Amino acid sequence: MTGPPGTELLSDLGRARDEVGEVLEVQLLGGGLVEITARLPHLAATARPGEFAQLRAWQGVEPLLRRPFSVAWTEGDRCAFVLEAVGSGTRMLVALRPGDALRSLGPLGNGFGFDPCPARALVVSGGLGCAPFPLLVRALRRAGCPDVTVLSGAATGARLYPAERFRRGDGGVAVLEATDDGSRGHRGRVTDLVASRCDAATIVYACGPNVMLAALASTLAGLAGPPRRAEVSLEAPMGCGFGTCLGCALPVVAGGGPDAPREHGTAWALCCRSGPVMEVSRVAWPELLALPPAHVA
Amino acid sequence: MTGGHPDLSVDLGRGLVLPNPVGLASGTAGYGFELRRLIDIDRLGALFTKGTTLRPRPGNPPPRVAEVRGGMLNSIGLHNPGVEHVAAVYAPEFARWSVPVVVNVAGGSVDDYLLCLRRLEDAPGIAGYELNISCPNIEGGMDYGQDAAAAARLVAAARALTSRHLMVKLSPNVTDIAEVARAVAGAGADSVSAVNTFVGMKVHRGIRAPVLPGRGTGGLSGPAIKPLGLAAVARVRAAVRIPVIGVGGIMDAGDAVEYMIAGADAVQVGTATFVDPGAALAVLDGLRDAAPGLRARPAAALRGGTVPPAGVEPASTG
Repeated sequence: MTGPPGTELLSDLGRARDEVGEVLEVQLLGGGLVEITARLPHLAATARPGEFAQLRAWQGVEPLLRRPFSVAWTEGDRCAFVLEAVGSGTRMLVALRPGDALRSLGPLGNGFGFDPCPARALVVSGGLGCAPFPLLVRALRRAGCPDVTVLSGAATGARLYPAERFRRGDGGVAVLEATDDGSRGHRGRVTDLVASRCDAATIVYACGPNVMLAALASTLAGLAGPPRRAEVSLEAPMGCGFGTCLGCALPVVAGGGPDAPREHGTAWALCCRSGPVMEVSRVAWPELLALPPAHVA
Repeated sequence: MTGGHPDLSVDLGRGLVLPNPVGLASGTAGYGFELRRLIDIDRLGALFTKGTTLRPRPGNPPPRVAEVRGGMLNSIGLHNPGVEHVAAVYAPEFARWSVPVVVNVAGGSVDDYLLCLRRLEDAPGIAGYELNISCPNIEGGMDYGQDAAAAARLVAAARALTSRHLMVKLSPNVTDIAEVARAVAGAGADSVSAVNTFVGMKVHRGIRAPVLPGRGTGGLSGPAIKPLGLAAVARVRAAVRIPVIGVGGIMDAGDAVEYMIAGADAVQVGTATFVDPGAALAVLDGLRDAAPGLRARPAAALRGGTVPPAGVEPASTG
């Protein structure tokens, strides 16, 4: 962070590989959420929680760019991704059928930190923000975390990622739900559930819309006893995913030395290289909220 | 070593010999460090770095990229670590690589360019310079590219400063690209690369505004611009005798061949790398397969030998 722009720590691109896999299953989960399972042996073997892959499932140049997705879970040589059809690329992805080819460049980016393993993990998911968490939950449990609680929020009950998919058979994982319309679980914001479950031994992991993450940051900042650490997974319109197009800039607190260049009172960090997972204190939240929604681009 | 492959090397003049005619375009390969982790960039003809400025630049506010039909817009704003970092930290690494590294230099004034070049002159591992007189995304960044006389003054000043290869990247956002090409050739440029991105805009109906911030415009790249790039290269080829490096929407070896037929001596692969980090290597492998009968100078051979071989004209010292 103290170097000139463009010199931030690289994510571990050494594990990234371009591979062509095969779609095994496309499941409609309800509320527009779709889970795609594919045979992608390299990604399955190497992806860490919070990392992503650049996917492409079409020939030609329309659409041109790959689409980035968190790795939702892995099992053997299989990987899953959770997505929603919001644009031309995602529409083609959700229309895939078993047997179709799926090309993946990954794993990319920096994932969640859980070493040393926290005594308590609070996983805060909003809508499609569920995408990286089944893999994280499993990794936390395998690392010995005794207390993993998922706070799962969405606009409606239909848009909640199914609780059993966060647990993946692990009965020791607690899942609490919240919906904006009260159709399931707590009526209100998922971030309402955070304060009473957070202590100095907790690491908070969050992913969801920027407004939700900003609300979480504000909640955490107001706690008498802050968590040990809090990490958020962010998104940005992305060109390459591996740090060369410099397109996926996100506003971060200008924390460099006196010579660290900045404009507009803000420094920029690349989502693909410094993220997608960042410490909550690193994000310039007012500036992030001032940006147009990522899918607009 | 080409190990039984045909010799595809291209002599661009003044000491810059590309081992083959396929390079990575400026702004799509950073300074090579990321792509080195993903592909064997030492097999390529050249790496053209991200536009480098005298001072570090944090770049433009997001969103910086927007996909459009057949291409993408970018407004990165020359996000780069500044020439000191490039010369002191990156260049010693370049010296260890076998791929020739051409540093793309950008600036807002002649002094900016010259101070930048002067710092790089002391640095190892630099095969040449590509003067970026055509970045559409910074204030004043395109003035030199749109004004033939100003471009000539800049190139003449740079020529007096360096004996390294001096390439000039031309802006397509001009009335007559040939006029600018002639001016920079006359001022001592060793080669020209054509073209940089085209100014474009994407408008979002939902937010009733352009997607990109600021002026709302960005540089259009990708397959959508290939016909425009080919026309520009043909215009430039007819106007100057120095080598021409074709760039704009090359996605595969066939596209590269088309650029060579239009008059390019070598090519740069840009946006395709974002889609597939190995795109430039695939272009190179495709060219080798497409040119088994060719010996040296595949570009000239593709053109039927009607165009003078590159690099024979001594560059004027302007």
